[in-house]
Amino acid sequence: MTTPRNADDRIALLQGTLDLLILKTLVLGPCHGQGVARSIQRQSEEVFFVDHGSLYLALQRLEDKKWISARWGVSENNRKARFYSLTAKGREQLVEKTSEWERLTRAMGLILGGSTQPSGEEA
Amino acid sequence: MFRRKRSTEDFAEEIKAHLDLEADELRGEGLNEEEAHRNARVAFGSVPATQERFHRRSRLLWFENLMRDLIFTVRQIVKNPAFAAVVILTLALGIGASTSIFSVADAVLLRPLPYPNPQQLVRVWEQLPNGHRPNLAESNFEDFFTQNNTFASLAAYDYGVASVSGGSEPARVNVAAVSSGFFPTLGVQPLRGRLFAADELRPKGTPAIIVSYGYWQRYLGGTADLSKFHLDLEAGSYPVVGVMPPSFDFPSDVAAWIPRELDPPTPSRSAHNWRVVGRVRDGVTVVQARANLSAIARRIRRQYGTQVDLSDAAVVPLADAIVGDVRTALLTLLGAVGLLLLVACANVAGLLVAHTAAHRKELAIRTALGAGRGRLIQQFLAESFVLTFAAGILGVLIAAAGVRILPAILPANLPRQEGIAINFAVLLFALAATAAVAIALGLFAAWRTGSSDLQHALGTGARSHTGSIASERLRSLLVIGEMATTLVILVGAGLLGRSFLRLVSRSPGFRQENLITMEFSLPLPLGQEGMDQSATARQIRLLDGIVARLRTIPGAASVGLAGALPVAAGDNLADGLFLIINGQKPPANFDEFGRIGQNRSQTGLAEYAVASEEYFRTLGVPLIRGRMFGEQDDMNSPHVAMISESLARNRWPNQDPIGQVIEFGNMDGNLKPLTIIGIVGDVRARGLDLPPSPIIYVDYRQRGMNANSTPTIVMRSTASAGEIASVARGIFHELAPDVPVKFSTFAEDMGGWLADRRFLLLLVGLFACIALILAGVGLYGVVAFFVAQRTQEIGVRLAIGAQRSDVLRLVMGEGARLAAIGVAVGICASLAITRLMSSLFFGISATDPLTFAGVALLLSLIALAASYIPARRAMRIDPINALRYE
Repeated sequence: MTTPRNADDRIALLQGTLDLLILKTLVLGPCHGQGVARSIQRQSEEVFFVDHGSLYLALQRLEDKKWISARWGVSENNRKARFYSLTAKGREQLVEKTSEWERLTRAMGLILGGSTQPSGEEA
Repeated sequence: MFRRKRSTEDFAEEIKAHLDLEADELRGEGLNEEEAHRNARVAFGSVPATQERFHRRSRLLWFENLMRDLIFTVRQIVKNPAFAAVVILTLALGIGASTSIFSVADAVLLRPLPYPNPQQLVRVWEQLPNGHRPNLAESNFEDFFTQNNTFASLAAYDYGVASVSGGSEPARVNVAAVSSGFFPTLGVQPLRGRLFAADELRPKGTPAIIVSYGYWQRYLGGTADLSKFHLDLEAGSYPVVGVMPPSFDFPSDVAAWIPRELDPPTPSRSAHNWRVVGRVRDGVTVVQARANLSAIARRIRRQYGTQVDLSDAAVVPLADAIVGDVRTALLTLLGAVGLLLLVACANVAGLLVAHTAAHRKELAIRTALGAGRGRLIQQFLAESFVLTFAAGILGVLIAAAGVRILPAILPANLPRQEGIAINFAVLLFALAATAAVAIALGLFAAWRTGSSDLQHALGTGARSHTGSIASERLRSLLVIGEMATTLVILVGAGLLGRSFLRLVSRSPGFRQENLITMEFSLPLPLGQEGMDQSATARQIRLLDGIVARLRTIPGAASVGLAGALPVAAGDNLADGLFLIINGQKPPANFDEFGRIGQNRSQTGLAEYAVASEEYFRTLGVPLIRGRMFGEQDDMNSPHVAMISESLARNRWPNQDPIGQVIEFGNMDGNLKPLTIIGIVGDVRARGLDLPPSPIIYVDYRQRGMNANSTPTIVMRSTASAGEIASVARGIFHELAPDVPVKFSTFAEDMGGWLADRRFLLLLVGLFACIALILAGVGLYGVVAFFVAQRTQEIGVRLAIGAQRSDVLRLVMGEGARLAAIGVAVGICASLAITRLMSSLFFGISATDPLTFAGVALLLSLIALAASYIPARRAMRIDPINALRYE
């Protein structure tokens, strides 16, 4: 898995996170890029702002990895759109990445929680 | 099975779809049409950047970028042709000059000799204890030949100018006498006919001659059937048996080869008559071969003692022997042209810095628009490649033209020059030089991009001209480097120039002006034993007749005759040992001569020169003491000699040489002793760069002209040489129709003698001039840039009361500062470099202070002139205008 590097941690974090978020969104069913962006924004209670350009590149990356597949279709409001759906491989990855993420956040939580407490006691 | 790659268009369409969908949604949230579209775009970020990143995932990106950069560069060039033209021309000059000189070095120094396994070929000399390396004496060669076990073959040869008739016209050409192993040693086969047969290679065998391709073409009409040709050479007639291929030119410039076995053998072990070439056996090194011959030489020494001169043998690879001392000159040229290329590169680098500085804003904008630093570097590389390769192509064209011009200025004695051409190796060199320049400039530009703060340029570069301090400093460094390099070339050129001036201003010992020379050759009986009395008398009558008729030509002030033209053709002189035999019985034969010669107190060394009495008057060589040759001296009276002043001083320091009787018959085969009757002024007969030679002059009326002479008429006349020559040609044709004559003037002959020095001086001087111009332009650029950057500052200074002269001082001071540092660095570098060339200098040291000072002054003046132009512009700055642009 990606370990956050010092200088570029923002990008590294974003990349890994974005992939996971896309997979998670697509678990609900096929969706076009704009829908994925909206969905992520909405579900994260607008905390995440997804740079749309990066999103499309991430979609392309996942497609190249064959975690998702794509085909052109028509959107609910009758516009042409490219719909993405999860592949079997993508579902596996989602499970794996999710558990990785949870381990990571738990570990981070432990460290962050554990480092503030002692200093608080001392103060 | 295999998936087609997704196209850029498909991706672009998806983005468009996204923007529409997003806009729809935003409209649904209550934005108006325009705002919806705008917000959709803002949320998306940079569409082109995203597309490019998509692109980058899937393509041979570097290639596309390269193509795009190339197209961009070409567009830039079209937009700013002056910049590109200056860059391309500067580099093309450097690359063209380097390539031309490399083509010479390639042909002369680098290309292997045109013989099979050329690395096995060597030249062999006797090695004397005093360091001299004379040719081999015949008997010593025979011993080397029969006793060695390291040579596959060993051959002796000698050559000299001879009159050859029997072709379409008589010609004075070089003819070589070669021993049996000569052609097999070199491993060459004739183009037509055959090599010498066994019958032609035994002593007193059947005469035969092999001619060169050039002679065959010119004098035998390239006729396939050789059987009808018989060439008359000196006293013999030789059937032509073969023609060598055009590539065969050994020894250099020889037109025909005859078997040396036709010559009577000379048993002497100190008559150094034979050049020797050999081929070592497979697997034998030159060092081993030398050790082998050394052992034989030491054995000869032990056996014959003082009868031999040699104490060792010298063995040198043939290629090195042929190139000889030309190597230093060629390496100097290569060095000079390399430095020139360096100056050109520095100049272009300076231009690139200025160019980049001028385009800082543009670069900053491109960076802001998402061009990564990597892309910018790539772009600089592309730019430098396009410019340099255009320069490379132009440079090769320049070199091609140069190679055509070169033969006109190359000294005739430069070996192997006929091979100079733009061939694969030369093109490869041009390509390598171009690539090196391109990479250097590209990396330089890239490094500049990497180090400079382009990203901040938008902020700080808002004002018109400002470049960073860093780029100004960098350009200063480049100009200092340029100045220093130019100074090195200038010093080299200056030292060569001063050497040349010293040389030509040195008096040869006579007046050189208005001398017409006619070199001809007379049929002589072959062999070294001289001519019989009647043949000599006939020859003297012919010479007398020619001289008498030439004297009648209107405008001919005086006509002298000599056995060799001094200085210009000094190599035609022969030198040797003479005996002082006062009162003793003169030697009756050469064995006796050799015995007397053992006693060093009775011998001396001198040049042997045949002359007429009028020769001295014609040249203006003064009689110091005694008398000249006179009417009373003829073949039957006692033979007389005149000697040069230095010989008199050195050989008879406390005695009067006049009246001394000497024996110099080893030079012309006539053992009649000579009585010294006069002392004449010294002549630098062997060359202006050498001390005056010790000379013994003999009278042609007594001794005639033999094989050791190259008969030459010298005529002093103020009339035009062409007119005199045309009349003289008629006289020669009438009196001696078979005698080829070469008409010239002494000045022309000296021109030939000075040709190699002049060639080197000319080219190094040319390179120095180009470098000087480039350095001047480079300095001008930096100072002009300095002024442009300080327009406002200067405006402010003027506004608050600075004088115009202060401005002039400020700007000129900047130029002077750079020039001074450049000159100082250059002088240090020159001190180290010119030492390597000291063998090329004459009469001055490699660190000649006058040359160094003069060159430094010249460069400083150019630098001041180059900075004066922008300084004047700075003085005229209008403070109002300058401040308005603040």
